[in-house]
Amino acid sequence: MLSWRGFSGPGAVEGPVCLPGRRDSSGGAESEQSRDIKTHFRVCRFIMETGVKLCMRSVPVATACVLYHRFFERVSLQDYEPYLVAMSCLYLAGKVEEQHIRTRDIINVSHRYFNSSSAPLECDKEFWDLRDSVVQCELLILRQLNFHVCFEHPHKYLLHYLLSVKSLVNRHAWSRTPVTETSWALLRDCYHGAMCIRHIPQHIAIATLYLALNSYGVELPIGEKEWWKVLCEDVTKEDIDAVISDLLQLYDMEAKCI
Amino acid sequence: MDKDLLRQCLTHHGRSLLDKLKCEQTENPDFQAVVTDLSKATRESGGEKLDNPLVEQFIARKADILFCPAWRTAAAQEEKHAEEEEEEAAEPYAIMPPVELFMEVSFEERRTMLYRDLERGDIVVGRINNIREYGFFLTLLCTAGGLKRDIEDLELSALCHVKEIPSTGNHDDPLSYYQIGDFIRAAVKDIDRYQEKITVSLHQVSLSSNLEHIKLGVIPREELPIHYSRSVRAAADSSETYECILQSCHGYHNPSVVDYLLEKVGISDEHPPSMMRGLQSKLFQEEDFASVIRKKQSASWALKCVRAGVDHFKHGRHVEAMNEYNKALDIDTNNVEALVARGALYANKGSIVKAITDFELALESCPDHRNAKKYLCQTLVERGKQLEEQEKLVTAEGLYRRALSLDDLNPEAKEALHKITDTIQKSIRLREEALAKEQVKAKSGQTSAEKLRKILKEEKRMKKKRKRSASSSSSSSNTSRNSSSSSSSSASRRKSKKKKKKRRRSERGSKRHRRISSRESRRSDEGKNGKNRKGKEEEEEVEWYPAPPNTSATFLNQKGGPRFGDGEEGEEEEKDGEDRRISQLYSLSAASDDEESDSSRRERKRKDREESKAGRKKNSQSKSPGREERRSRSRERRDSWKEDNRKDRRDSNPKRRSSLEGDRNRKVSCSSADSEYSRRSSVKSEFLGNSGSASKHSESQRRRDSSRRDSLDGGRYENRGKEGEEIKRERDSVKGKAEVESSRSVERFAVNPAKKSSLPEGNPKKDLPTNLLDIFNQIAQFEKEKAGKPK
Repeated sequence: MLSWRGFSGPGAVEGPVCLPGRRDSSGGAESEQSRDIKTHFRVCRFIMETGVKLCMRSVPVATACVLYHRFFERVSLQDYEPYLVAMSCLYLAGKVEEQHIRTRDIINVSHRYFNSSSAPLECDKEFWDLRDSVVQCELLILRQLNFHVCFEHPHKYLLHYLLSVKSLVNRHAWSRTPVTETSWALLRDCYHGAMCIRHIPQHIAIATLYLALNSYGVELPIGEKEWWKVLCEDVTKEDIDAVISDLLQLYDMEAKCI
Repeated sequence: MDKDLLRQCLTHHGRSLLDKLKCEQTENPDFQAVVTDLSKATRESGGEKLDNPLVEQFIARKADILFCPAWRTAAAQEEKHAEEEEEEAAEPYAIMPPVELFMEVSFEERRTMLYRDLERGDIVVGRINNIREYGFFLTLLCTAGGLKRDIEDLELSALCHVKEIPSTGNHDDPLSYYQIGDFIRAAVKDIDRYQEKITVSLHQVSLSSNLEHIKLGVIPREELPIHYSRSVRAAADSSETYECILQSCHGYHNPSVVDYLLEKVGISDEHPPSMMRGLQSKLFQEEDFASVIRKKQSASWALKCVRAGVDHFKHGRHVEAMNEYNKALDIDTNNVEALVARGALYANKGSIVKAITDFELALESCPDHRNAKKYLCQTLVERGKQLEEQEKLVTAEGLYRRALSLDDLNPEAKEALHKITDTIQKSIRLREEALAKEQVKAKSGQTSAEKLRKILKEEKRMKKKRKRSASSSSSSSNTSRNSSSSSSSSASRRKSKKKKKKRRRSERGSKRHRRISSRESRRSDEGKNGKNRKGKEEEEEVEWYPAPPNTSATFLNQKGGPRFGDGEEGEEEEKDGEDRRISQLYSLSAASDDEESDSSRRERKRKDREESKAGRKKNSQSKSPGREERRSRSRERRDSWKEDNRKDRRDSNPKRRSSLEGDRNRKVSCSSADSEYSRRSSVKSEFLGNSGSASKHSESQRRRDSSRRDSLDGGRYENRGKEGEEIKRERDSVKGKAEVESSRSVERFAVNPAKKSSLPEGNPKKDLPTNLLDIFNQIAQFEKEKAGKPK
């Protein structure tokens, strides 16, 4: 695989995240782990931002993030350049989710992400090297994941839950309350961390909806069973709380990392 | 900040949240504006609920996003989606039974909720349980459209008054159409929340606007809402959980269900919402988006190619330059620089029309491009000159005007426009004068009967000869005109020397191709032709038609440049009449025609051979072919007049006339649609021939033809078109004698010039009408006068 020259992540402010020598010199395992999490957060932010700039839909972006997290579940962050993996994940996710993204666009947007307000790349050897790296890395990801690249996402659960819950609420109260937007935003944001592969999709969907409803103080009718219990039999309050706390940590992380 | 929403939230979370909010949002002026109100509300409600402090922290921190009115994007659109019926049929997403069914919400609460949430205009479905004279009662089964609630067991009853049942027209009791047990879909008309009474209506107008398309009235069991039938099944079988039903719905497996539902709930996936500070959509800048970068990049890549191309161009490697330009345009269609560069290259290579197209495209996307403007201006002038040479004076004038509109200071365009305007005016004037003269002539001719008689004799003789070769010559001339250099035609021509006159005409017609040779050949032809009559004729013609001293020489020298000078010359010699003028114009247009030069050369060679064979006396007079031409033509004209007037059926003379007419017409068609002009020419055509009205028609048609052709552009195209026209014209007049519908025949010929041979062409003149002599006398007189004037 060709080296990813030319790109250095925004983490360069804190020190180049992709230089193994630097990482080795760091202290205990604890701090290394937290550093990795921060790196992943930044790379995922990169994926999200690039996804928006590439006009990708939410599901392909989610797939890209899951591909990324699953890849680094198997390999060490020290061995691979995370931003290159992220770019290849975007490319692969576009294929998986039937929204094909051209490598040229991915490279262009990424180049601008790292070298803000720079001129677009020339059509020279550097460009083709970058392109080759992305394509090669895509194959690497596929092999690492044993070609399991189709994932179930919480997105369609959340949308169906939203419709069901909406019927429980007075229509005027509902239209006044941006539960839909908030829950969708929370769902997208949860892909910043590995929590998106640690929790099952239904739980994530319910948790984001729960948090959104809770944030606006929307009261749902109380029956024998809680609404979330109805939507998903095996979910418990603890599961929901776990998802929510993971999610809230990500928001805290934003302040720390970026 | 949305105060109501914030209050609702605070009511839910209580004081602790307010404290956190105060702490987190100290710098938010929006929050400070509402905080006093909120503290009161919180104190009043005093709700103290224990909740996750982290969640409260989150709410407090993100309050500016959560409660920002702009955050709510979906609300407005949401109401519009109500195509319940179609949706249910296709089921693009999983239609679920109401959740309260699974939640086992208590009877009381559900009933209260329904009365709270049901609104006028909603749709309910019920079964008729009682029919009275004032209406019928429904037991409500479910809701449809808008609200989705489980109401079957709520023992709700609704009255549908007889007034609310649409009458069918005949005066029966509308109630007689309804039976107990019918399923009725009805619109809620009124809800009495205190008395808990619901009245419904079957009138469509009582529906709320977003449900208007749903039909009210009796429905079959199959049309009951899907969510109802599913809830019935779920209620019957406790193993049917929400999850099971969701997974079993085929709408759930719709691959594009997410996109569909996102649209339905009103969330934009292009500008997705996020609670992350760094992902707020306002932070994304347009120039960071892939499409924008790609565009910029394509432009710069293309520019690189253009630069390489320009480099090639400078070193004279035109093919490589063109390749680079085309590559640039492949990378970035409509790249202005590439278009301009390629246009310049085209112009350099002489493809002026292509160059103009490129410049125009460039200016379309960048109207202020200086080079593009400049080049287009120059190219337009160039093209105008070309067109001028091809006698498209009006089109050329238009191009000059356009050039000036692009750059009103361009001296070249100015000058050219000035000149062409002059030329057009002159040609109009010339035409008018010629016309006037001819009218005078016609009136006043009366003598030299003897001469005419001789001429007539000669003509007769000639006709006989020609008769023999008429058909073959006609076809050969036809082909020669169609394909200017077909060897077969030339061969046939060589063989049949007798059809000289005809050939002469054809040559005049296609003079463009053989400006020089045609003149010579004409001379020689004439010589061959009129061996016998020559002496007399010549004298006559000379005196009647004073030739301009050196026109022919000028013509010969014409290579596209000084045609304006010619125009002046024409002015001097305007007495010569329009024929000469026309021939002049032709020769001018011919001068520009490089493509035909080969054929003309070939022809000339052949002609020379012929000439020598024929041993014409006039061979030596190479300096004044124009004069001879003129002479011969005038003779022809005389002939044609005679014939026309007498409606004679001789074959060649009409053709002569027609060619004259054709020439004139072509001039008209070329130079302008000026109304006066056209009127005059039509007058003249009437004067000239018995088929005057017909030719008027055909003329106008021709003009249309030619204008159409003009728009096609492209030199060769035009030439061919004109050839065709000429053939048409000739054809036209030939026919015109036999049948006066020449205009129609013009069309026909335009379509199929090959038809020619079938025409009634070779009708030999058997005898002359009695009044011929008088007419001849008149004409002779007229011509004498005419000849006298110019001197």
